[in-house]
Amino acid sequence: MSYRVGIDIGGTFTDFALRTSDGVKLYKNLSTPEDRSQGVMTGLAALAEREGLTLADFLGRCDAIVHGTTVADNTLIEMNGAVTGLLTTEGFRDEIALRRGFKESIWDVRLEPPREITPRRRRLGVPERVLCDGSVYQPLDEDAVRAACRKLAKQNVESVAVSFLFSFVNPDHEKRVREIVAEEMPGVPISLSHEVLPRAPEFDRTSTTVVNAYVAPRVTSYLERLVGRLKEAGYTRQLMVMQASGGVMTKEYIDGAPIRVLASGPAGGVIGSAHVGGAKGHANLICVDMGGTSYDMSLVLDGQAPAEAGWNLHHRYVVGIPMVKVETLGAGGGSICNVHNGVLQVGPRSAGAAPGPIAYGRGGTEPTITDALVMLGILSTDAGFAGGSFRLSREGVAEAFQAIGDAMGYGAEEAAFDCWRVVNANMTGGVRRTTAGKGIDPKDLVMLAYGGNGPAFAGIQAEDLGIRKVLVPRTSPTFSALGTLVADPAIDEQRSYIASLATLDVGRLRDLWSALEERAARHFAAANVPAEQLSVRYQLNTRYPGQNWPVTFDIAVGKGLHDLSFVDEGLREKAMALFDARHRAEFGHVREGEIPEVTGVRLVTSAPSDLVPVGSGFTAPRTHPAPAKHRRANLGQGFHETAVFLGQDLKPGDEIVGPAIIDEVFTTIVVYPGWTAIVDDAGDCELNQRD
Amino acid sequence: MSFALNRKLAAKRPPLETAAAIDAVTAGIIRGAMETCCFEATEYLARAASSAIINQSNERNASVIDANGRLAAQSIGTPHLTFVTQLPVRYCLMNMADFDVGPGDVFVSNDPDYGGGHLPDYCVYGPVYDAAGELICFQTLQAHQGDTGGKDPGGFTLDATDIFTEGLALPCLKLVHRGEKRLDVIRLLERNNRFPSFHGDLAAMIGGVQHAVRLLEAMVGKWGADRVKAAINHNIAETERLFRQEVSKWRDGRYEGTVFIDHDTQGTKDVKVHATCTIAGDTLTVDLTGSDDRPNLIGVWNTFGNSRSYVMTQVAASIDPIIVKNEGLFDAVEIILPENTIVQPPPNKPAALGSFHPACEIIEAVCIALSQVVPERSCFQGYKMGMPNALIGFDAKGQMWMDQGVDVRVEDASAVQGIDGWGGLCTALGNLLLSQAEDAESRFPVVNLSRQMITDKGGAGQWRGQPGTLNVKKTLEPAMAMTWMVSREHPLTGLCGGEDACSYQNWYLVGTPDEFEVKLAAHTQMPAGGVMAYQNGGGSGFGPATRRDPIAVREDVLDELVSLAAARDIYGVVLTGTLDDYDLEVDWTATEALRAEMAAGKTLEEAGR
Repeated sequence: MSYRVGIDIGGTFTDFALRTSDGVKLYKNLSTPEDRSQGVMTGLAALAEREGLTLADFLGRCDAIVHGTTVADNTLIEMNGAVTGLLTTEGFRDEIALRRGFKESIWDVRLEPPREITPRRRRLGVPERVLCDGSVYQPLDEDAVRAACRKLAKQNVESVAVSFLFSFVNPDHEKRVREIVAEEMPGVPISLSHEVLPRAPEFDRTSTTVVNAYVAPRVTSYLERLVGRLKEAGYTRQLMVMQASGGVMTKEYIDGAPIRVLASGPAGGVIGSAHVGGAKGHANLICVDMGGTSYDMSLVLDGQAPAEAGWNLHHRYVVGIPMVKVETLGAGGGSICNVHNGVLQVGPRSAGAAPGPIAYGRGGTEPTITDALVMLGILSTDAGFAGGSFRLSREGVAEAFQAIGDAMGYGAEEAAFDCWRVVNANMTGGVRRTTAGKGIDPKDLVMLAYGGNGPAFAGIQAEDLGIRKVLVPRTSPTFSALGTLVADPAIDEQRSYIASLATLDVGRLRDLWSALEERAARHFAAANVPAEQLSVRYQLNTRYPGQNWPVTFDIAVGKGLHDLSFVDEGLREKAMALFDARHRAEFGHVREGEIPEVTGVRLVTSAPSDLVPVGSGFTAPRTHPAPAKHRRANLGQGFHETAVFLGQDLKPGDEIVGPAIIDEVFTTIVVYPGWTAIVDDAGDCELNQRD
Repeated sequence: MSFALNRKLAAKRPPLETAAAIDAVTAGIIRGAMETCCFEATEYLARAASSAIINQSNERNASVIDANGRLAAQSIGTPHLTFVTQLPVRYCLMNMADFDVGPGDVFVSNDPDYGGGHLPDYCVYGPVYDAAGELICFQTLQAHQGDTGGKDPGGFTLDATDIFTEGLALPCLKLVHRGEKRLDVIRLLERNNRFPSFHGDLAAMIGGVQHAVRLLEAMVGKWGADRVKAAINHNIAETERLFRQEVSKWRDGRYEGTVFIDHDTQGTKDVKVHATCTIAGDTLTVDLTGSDDRPNLIGVWNTFGNSRSYVMTQVAASIDPIIVKNEGLFDAVEIILPENTIVQPPPNKPAALGSFHPACEIIEAVCIALSQVVPERSCFQGYKMGMPNALIGFDAKGQMWMDQGVDVRVEDASAVQGIDGWGGLCTALGNLLLSQAEDAESRFPVVNLSRQMITDKGGAGQWRGQPGTLNVKKTLEPAMAMTWMVSREHPLTGLCGGEDACSYQNWYLVGTPDEFEVKLAAHTQMPAGGVMAYQNGGGSGFGPATRRDPIAVREDVLDELVSLAAARDIYGVVLTGTLDDYDLEVDWTATEALRAEMAAGKTLEEAGR
């Protein structure tokens, strides 16, 4: 039997999803922050043991080990990446600090600046200049580059970023700088902007390149360590790594721009969601993940998790690579409730895991959403919370909410209920803003809810948004690992070329796509994927002159590389029609008499996996189980004795009419009044609003 | 169109009539839903527009105005513009029958004499009704247009003596009647605009308003009109209460600020803005009496709506940021704008440039005044560079192009107590995204040669302003260059003992025998290869420079934000080591001695240096 393993490392747990001939098995063990590869190996050994194999035997039978890592994210959270230097076109050393004028708040004059990755002393300009057509306006001053290298070396720079204007059109100067840096600063890794993000404008590209340079040494050394350990233990194939775009690719490919792993954990979660939703016949999803500190929202459209290369802010830095868009709101179980200036607020401050909510009994004193759920009877204080490791306590909870009630002029239970309402409203607004960005009405979507707290709010959230169906998959606690297991190997890259559709040079388009094809073929060959098995989407980024963000559409979709026969003189007309259709669909109008312009080409290459869908949604004949117990709870209509079911007792076909609560091992599912829950054959829960 | 109309437009409005009771949390939830509608409207516009000012600079904003003309909610954008949007809607409300206002309608206004900001700021808005046909509120969406069909492309005319020179003025014009676009009217507007992209931008604004109106109607349907009205009343009252609570903590008294603009566009010097902020208990009065009233001034007339709005932008920055921004702010503050002055001009005055100056000097004067009572939240929320350098030319097909100079730069990123100035702009403009060289050069025949900060070019202080940038730009084809200079002679004022920002300077035809410094204004034909260079003055400082942490000064020197000489002469910090070796250290003894000498008022010469 052959295996495939998906591994996702989180702050607390390392999750494993193992595909065997019987289906998918899930496993988790504690992460090992000092050397995360250690936790991976321990978990793999445990999986081998469960399969009755030695680790070497088990690894020998693994077709693929696919890994999602948070090393890049942790580096940015802790701001402990490489000492980074930046070389720019002379006169442009400060773009990264000026941020195009952007600030995260327009009302708070006391907002602090982001911490600098490259303080000004390590940002140096060198004389050189390329124009927008790729011509050289000023040649590269190599002596100045060498002098700059010496300055950076004096400051113990460990990683160098280079971002020259229009290098994505003509990269010669950046390439020459790589050679000079190698001579002047041997062994120091270098990130060239035309390789990391080959597109305009310069702030986006520079910021992305700087972040890449900052995280690169840590990501690379971590992956090397892991590859070494795996090899030593008997794994002979390529380690595949999850990317922010939602595709997986070889370690060698990631080495070219390690920033591609940033935010890949949440991306894996969305891919897992898309897979499960698709298996149940739902291609358009709003995925909501409410954990301890945040509420993450993402969209799945037509079964895909769209990856966008835009103004993605991560840890206050713009990262322009294609990313599965995950919007985050500071609303989780640990979000702190307080009254400030007469206004009841929830979050974004969080009690985190330590001390955590008051109900954890670990010294937390400020009331949180988890505490509000305890107060409302939604969360159980019986033994067995979060898998049985500890139980929630009511001690101190009522007092904390009474303090809020005192400020608002009512009792503790009303205060807890209002906190529930406020966080609900915040999340509704968050979802609407997420869907608005794509011009989508949430009522046309199915909600997929996960995370420890997601299913407690999903029903009421859905009702607020006009959504009538919610999926709560049993596997949701390990969705990111499942996502890495089911994600397709994929490369998503683009190249800039700005030209009017009326006058564009189709030969140039062909050359750009051809160069992207060559890169993809090379990396897929290394991953043992033959070119003829590849799915390829040739896309154009196009906009009306003056628009900020292009729309992207397929110009050709096919199987296998090196079919550029569609790039002919007829392409302009075809592109025009496709652009019109897309613009009309997104914005409701087209501009008569205006000729759109191409801003670049994009090539999305993937090797679809042959995985059998996990957890399809066939339902056994309906049965109506009796509740295990009752609990006094407020599900939005005041306190009532409410039926409580235990997730472990439920079987396919069980139907539960709300109001009711289902206590699961890792989460609590609330069946709100007016809703019905059905357990499907995969053991997953589907919530439907009754007519 | 009169001072009497302005008074009517600005008069405080009563709460909406409703018997419904509402709790604070539900009111907050309804407010959040309205803010999301505003967000969706601006998002719709940003995605569909093609004017760089709208979608690159993000100069767009949305608000919900209630049926009594009060600001009920707003979202992202530029506060300077958001706080104007009540007034054009109020004018519409005052003429409901005449203008045949009904469900499905969409209007546009831009007329400064009827509540508008300046002509380029098109405010598009539509009424929201409940199922029973009662008017509940309006959704507005405002954005700066690249042209207004006046004498000069772009809508800014340096020598304009009346508003008609500047373009087409629209007190209130119906664009959509009961859901049907009025194409005759829309064609008229398009015909009076130089940019072909205006067609799409206007369509995007209408679409954005219609989208948000549908959302608001659904929201009213869900909660019921009475509760929505009660929520609006509650939120506005709550903002007023919280604002007054803040003001009551401020020290009673009269605090003044005086600021001068170098000159009007024709050279009449030292145009004055004066603000008196009076605090008495929980009431703040901002009185601009004493501001310039010379009738012959050209170009420096700020419109009534803008003057109110700019006052409020600075006041709103001075309070707890959590306080919700709505009509409650205006209910809590008395704003006195003397008639026949540059802060409330007589009808028909040109208005475009007034949104730069004196508008920003109003902000500055209020900021100076309030810094005496609320220093921890005092930081200038405007821009002091006159009219940005615009380059206008025509391509081979005769199509006009215009690089409006919204370039990346440091513009008045000033210090606040405890935090150095940072980024490129003040906080209130933080939603803007300034133009990038690679986008501009792909669109216009220009080359940007520099846009980086210059050592010592900012206000020193215990917390220093961000140094200004030197922007150098070359035009590759012949083009008309236009600008108006301010803050060269009167740069941005430092606060609480902090140094002023540096002088803003601007040179044209750099490197040629004809090179000249623009001191007043320019309307100059640049040949192909012509270069302009402009040095922004940076942000102003806060607190005395000699109180700055010497370690922070050392870091600034290492970062070449401050020179060694300025470290010594302005900050009183003596450093050992060299910049080349990155081994600068503070000589604490020498620093203490130097600072003591400076405090004793000795000049450096006297101290033997």
